Amino acid sequence: MAVTTDETDDVEEGTGGSGTAPPRRGMGRIAMAVSVFGELLITAGLVLGLFVVYSLWWTNVLADREADKEANKVRDTWASADSGPGALDTKDGIGFLHVPAMKNGEVLVKKGTSTKILNGGVAGYYTDPVKATLPTSDKDGNFTLAAHRDGHGAKFHNIDKLKKGDSIVFETRDNWYVYKVYDNLPETSKYNVKVLSDIPKESGKKKAGKYITLTTCTPVYTSRHRYIVWGELVRVERVNAERTLPKELR
Amino acid sequence: MYGWIWRHLPGNVWVKALISIVLTLAVVYALFQYVFPWAEPLLPFNDVTVNDQ
Repeated sequence: MAVTTDETDDVEEGTGGSGTAPPRRGMGRIAMAVSVFGELLITAGLVLGLFVVYSLWWTNVLADREADKEANKVRDTWASADSGPGALDTKDGIGFLHVPAMKNGEVLVKKGTSTKILNGGVAGYYTDPVKATLPTSDKDGNFTLAAHRDGHGAKFHNIDKLKKGDSIVFETRDNWYVYKVYDNLPETSKYNVKVLSDIPKESGKKKAGKYITLTTCTPVYTSRHRYIVWGELVRVERVNAERTLPKELR
Repeated sequence: MYGWIWRHLPGNVWVKALISIVLTLAVVYALFQYVFPWAEPLLPFNDVTVNDQ
């Protein structure tokens, strides 16, 4: 490339002595434009590459850091406030989701599914378009949750590893709510809000019950469709003084 | 472009190289801190909820 440029220079301007003068001195205008354009393309490529690094790695670092901090705050509140105003403190999070099959430890659960909430590396329960029924309310309904598949903690990255019969355990200050997965929907439209219904008919349920629904995006690295997993409450275990884990998590 | 920058950096090769590294890091920092967080919500990679809009 540089050699060719030198030669054209010689022909056009006849400066000669291509060996002594710096090759860029007399570079033709077109050659210059092409070279700048090429450098811009390389730069754009690098920036896009960095964006991938940012999305898939750096946002996880930030989100995990934030979620850890929030989780500690929740644990501290639980440990200290014995006679506090109940277990429902929605600002810092209402509890933790443990899904052994996803192998990602505990996931803090907070109120709302806005980008701002979910980007904090947590799972959010729906308030819109269908309000989630919290297990702590003891009412029949659907505990609907969303979390990121990639980036920002990627808390539901391994949602496809969940099979029928796997357990999903939701931990609050006072109880372990043990759910069993009974159905999933590997791909559905992002407008399919019916999956959030109190009785999710698509999962084959007809009667009211205590359900849990996990939603995230699919296929990985895109947001084209949604992946849904449904579970049903099988039992509630009181948290004891040592916070002994229920047998599903041992 | 990069050649132009290189020629306009002061000092000898080592100083130039050092300044280049610092400049590169500054650019990467600005991208991670300001540009990418701004650009990300504009790109359709991160919607995970179902909704009716």
